[in-house]
Amino acid sequence: MNDRRTHFHRELAALEADLVGVAGRAEGMIAEAIRAVVEDAPDVADAVIASDAEIDRIYLDIHDRWLELMARQQPMGSDLRLMSAILVLNATLERMGDQCVNISKMATVVHGLPRSEQILEELQEMADLVRPMVRRAVAAFIRRDVAAALTLPEMDEPVDRLNRQMYQRVVACGPRKEQLEWATRMMMVARALERIGDQAVDVAEQVVFLATGEFREFGDTAGSGDRT
Amino acid sequence: MSQIASTAELRPVPPVGVSDELSSEHPVVFEVRDLDVFYGDFQAVRGIDLDIRQHEITALIGPSGCGKSTVIRCLNRMNDLIETARVEGTVTYHGVDLYGPDVDPVEVRRRIGMVFQKPNPFPKSIYENVAFGPRIAGLTADLDDIVEESLRKAALWDEVKDKLDEPALALSGGQQQRLCIARAIATSPDVVLMDEPASALDPIATLRIEELMIELKEDYTIIVVTHNMQQAARVSDRTAFFSVEVGEGGRRTGRLVEFDLTERIFTSPSEKETEDYITGRFG
Repeated sequence: MNDRRTHFHRELAALEADLVGVAGRAEGMIAEAIRAVVEDAPDVADAVIASDAEIDRIYLDIHDRWLELMARQQPMGSDLRLMSAILVLNATLERMGDQCVNISKMATVVHGLPRSEQILEELQEMADLVRPMVRRAVAAFIRRDVAAALTLPEMDEPVDRLNRQMYQRVVACGPRKEQLEWATRMMMVARALERIGDQAVDVAEQVVFLATGEFREFGDTAGSGDRT
Repeated sequence: MSQIASTAELRPVPPVGVSDELSSEHPVVFEVRDLDVFYGDFQAVRGIDLDIRQHEITALIGPSGCGKSTVIRCLNRMNDLIETARVEGTVTYHGVDLYGPDVDPVEVRRRIGMVFQKPNPFPKSIYENVAFGPRIAGLTADLDDIVEESLRKAALWDEVKDKLDEPALALSGGQQQRLCIARAIATSPDVVLMDEPASALDPIATLRIEELMIELKEDYTIIVVTHNMQQAARVSDRTAFFSVEVGEGGRRTGRLVEFDLTERIFTSPSEKETEDYITGRFG
């Protein structure tokens, strides 16, 4: 099979490779952001916040190259679907980085406040659930693996459940003002982790679109129903 | 050919209301079944099945030699003019066998007009170019009105209304092509066939032709052969992708690979061969 558009396909492959690189960075940021919270380590939080600048730089670079390719190459068929998926994934992964920044800022704000070990354990559990979701969604994207992508909603369910019960954990912290302040911030951390889980599902939706040409929201058909 | 029909039966069905939304309710104008075309011993196309729907633009795309021009020329019996050409299979037009023994090819070409790659106005005035067809058909009573209406529909009236007696060949290439479109529609056809109508034009003139095609589909059924995939994507409602199969002795025969809504052909075609062609992975 001769490729009559080698230049374009090389550029497209480079764009995809850079995007996958961002996904790896984002996954690493999740681990570090939750470590900053669990270990009460503001220096780790600062490092996460600083590292987001690189994701933002690559995000803008991918966007510029995407626009140029679109204008100059007018892709069609699976190339067009890949371009569409890259645009969505680029924004999704950049927002994942932003969620890690949000988590890290919470870690900085609550430094030194009294904590609840149960809440920390559950936040760690959420992070441990979310990171494999990102990894699997991105692997499915690389391999155009619809079957793997379709497992994401199920992986997201325990994350949603932990997020929903976080309110009860916060209320259980009692009337102590300082611990309540800490716990309230942790509810926002849980919310950020839950959003990252949703974003991993968004990536998986793009995988199905890329492979089949059909775009649908998993929440409508996969039975999870709850994407809040 | 299966059916015998008189010229009188070659009557278009009444136009239906044109909806913005594509619908399978648009009646079929041409039904092509198992079409084979030969030039002498050479088989140009094989086994073509195609339904062309009313008030739609159907684009035929594919590499050189895939038979798309051969197929479009079967739709108004232009291949009759080639001595060695032989057409097998069925082409019905509004349900009537287009190749029936009683069908008059001249009447066929009046109802099914054609615009070619290179603008080919007659070396006459602008007016006479448009009036030519109606005159031949004996329509002389309202000739001025026919000429004006045809030029208006072809989006050329405003540019030529003050110089109708000037030579058509003095017009620009894009204007000449729109004049040829005006000439084609002056005989009140039902269908307009366009064989690469913009390939000899600059980008601005090309866009004018494309805009015109979209306007004209309200009144006519349009079938366009184009090498320009982006043009097919921009203007057509449905796209037929043709390819070439190489047989014994390197003989190349065209065949239809896929026919679907244009949006589907250019975003997620069903056939790998179509996908390879539109993404540039072929040959």
